[in-house]
Amino acid sequence: MELLRFTTAGSIDDGKSTLTGRLLYDTGNIKEDVLESVSKVGNIINLAHITDGLRSERAGGITIDIGYRYFKTNNRKYIISDAPGHFQYTKNMVTGASNVDVMIILIDAKNGITSQTRLHSLVASFLRTRYVVVAVNKMDALAYGEDAFESIRNEYRSIAERLQLRDVIFIPISALHGDNVSAHSENMPWYHGPDLLSFLEQCDTHKTTNGPGRVSIQYCAEDESTKTSLYFGKVLSGEIHVNEPLKIFPPENEVLVKKIISGYEEVETAKAGENICLELNTNDGMKRGSILAPLTHRPQCTKLLTAAICWLDPEINCEQNKEFILRIHTQESICHIRDIEYRINPFSFDKEKVPGLKVNEVASAIIETEVPVVYDSYDVCPENARGIIIDPATHNTVAAIMIY
Amino acid sequence: MNYLQELEAEAIYVFREIAAQFTKPVLLFSGGKDSTVLIHLAAKAFHPMPIPFPVMHVDTGHNFEEALRFRDQLVLQKGLQLIIRKVEDSILEHGIEEPVEKLPSRNVLQSITLMDAIREFGFDACIGGGRRDEEKARAKERFFSVRDREGKWQPYNQKPELWNIYNGRINEGENMRVFPISNWTEMDVWQYIRQENIDLPSLYFAHERSCIVYNGRLIAVSGYIKIDDEDIRLTENVRYRTVGDMTCTAAIKSDARTIDEVIREIEASNISERGETRIDDQLSDAAMEDRKLQGYF
Repeated sequence: MELLRFTTAGSIDDGKSTLTGRLLYDTGNIKEDVLESVSKVGNIINLAHITDGLRSERAGGITIDIGYRYFKTNNRKYIISDAPGHFQYTKNMVTGASNVDVMIILIDAKNGITSQTRLHSLVASFLRTRYVVVAVNKMDALAYGEDAFESIRNEYRSIAERLQLRDVIFIPISALHGDNVSAHSENMPWYHGPDLLSFLEQCDTHKTTNGPGRVSIQYCAEDESTKTSLYFGKVLSGEIHVNEPLKIFPPENEVLVKKIISGYEEVETAKAGENICLELNTNDGMKRGSILAPLTHRPQCTKLLTAAICWLDPEINCEQNKEFILRIHTQESICHIRDIEYRINPFSFDKEKVPGLKVNEVASAIIETEVPVVYDSYDVCPENARGIIIDPATHNTVAAIMIY
Repeated sequence: MNYLQELEAEAIYVFREIAAQFTKPVLLFSGGKDSTVLIHLAAKAFHPMPIPFPVMHVDTGHNFEEALRFRDQLVLQKGLQLIIRKVEDSILEHGIEEPVEKLPSRNVLQSITLMDAIREFGFDACIGGGRRDEEKARAKERFFSVRDREGKWQPYNQKPELWNIYNGRINEGENMRVFPISNWTEMDVWQYIRQENIDLPSLYFAHERSCIVYNGRLIAVSGYIKIDDEDIRLTENVRYRTVGDMTCTAAIKSDARTIDEVIREIEASNISERGETRIDDQLSDAAMEDRKLQGYF
């Protein structure tokens, strides 16, 4: 059985938490005692109350931080990150969206596309989210008519094109009444596409892992009894083999893999996604943050890189002379953000010249690091093409970066 | 990868991040199934090396004997370094007056003992078996969750946590709580226990036990609770779905004696794990959130 991770995005009151509650309810994934504990208006249960886990959220009727929910069908296991819709909590929404296969963007059919719809679409574009489902919600309030859905679809298509979103699917729904959520709705005979759950059940979750061999080193240990150094790490993409000559980046020393341990087993080959432990013929240059790569497919290794950046901290601004720490998988370097090439206007998506960056803004930046950092482009090895920026003064994660 | 492999890989990755990013981590062990799975995952994460940090039991003194026996066996079998800190000692040291109740819970007091131990040993990371599917406040917590100097969680000011890039940097005096099995459900834990053939305390399987009925729940007869003449005493075939203190964990009627039978029983159950067994969560709508604000796991 496979795991699918998805998030619900969209403006406040577009029904994100209600949709999550509806999916859990329809698939029989809410236990009786939980159902009894949520509030009801008449006979209709407050589906949003199921996911709003903090006191202030329930009191205010808003989602402040991501809440994770789990459900399963006969086909798949699901992890939902129920994201907040308010502009000020977009940074939390980015956290929830970073790991997903599918972003469901809810749009209230009565209100149409809002600035938050645009901002969340920009986040999907920044993160290169595999699928975007535009769920046009509250269709019941418009007597299930096709017109509003059509005009939203047309308007959104130009956004998708502008942001180069990969796969975009449009579904008219009513989260409150369950139309097109887990079954095709008879109220909308004009809609011939899949209902939301059918789409989630069938979409391809296969992760591209057939790139060049990359191992990132997390943790080093010394086995005193055998006087050997052991390197614990993860295969980010491709494969590595025993007796394979590899290069350590940086500083580009050549090494030979002597032993690979995966779990409790000694293996000949390790594949993308596996956590492994390595023994090598030399230990020169090996440390946490090192990347092992084959001799032929070398990663980038520079002190200057261009990356898309999403600013996440409301208090610290992105300033040129300020010292930050760049972290890509497990490697870290002191860095400076030397230039903001352009900011992407969150409404028009035009590229604009700006002096600095504020919270929830997406831009293209030139980052200079103190020591060489090793990275790939997103199409080559996604896990080696993304990172965070930490403020050394507060230890906060202030931004996320993607290298395309 | 199937979902169980993916969840296992996520947890092992987190364990290795903890070892690399912190100087003094500790694994919090209760004798329950979740922290037992944590020990198994840690052993696998660092094989062929031993687990590079100690485990700590915050002992309320209201334990099931079976859980203590299991703890000591596991420590021997896996060669773990065990630290025990007792709530009893914190009560004496801080002159705390214990609540006199029918089911006197030391659940909240555990936070005091935990914070004392963190200061005593200088632990910078405490690894816990909390899962987001257990409870709605837990559903909101990050894998790496910062606690301030008093051990308080700040749910409205959590750090961004993208992909699997965990930022373990903290300020002096703060400590990190880390939850490697955040994304596991109760069923995932059981499926994994079956797959990996992990031993558990016998409490998790059906056995005969003398209980009283309290608010419709079965509470084991023990010296830790106050039993009155009006109490209905029963001897039933029961098992525990969660294992906490004897005073705040309820048994459920069950004939499930094997892992397969337990899995079938949970699949058929209409009630959530904590809803069925935890008296400590029933106090208010935000009982867990409130405890976490006080330094709780």
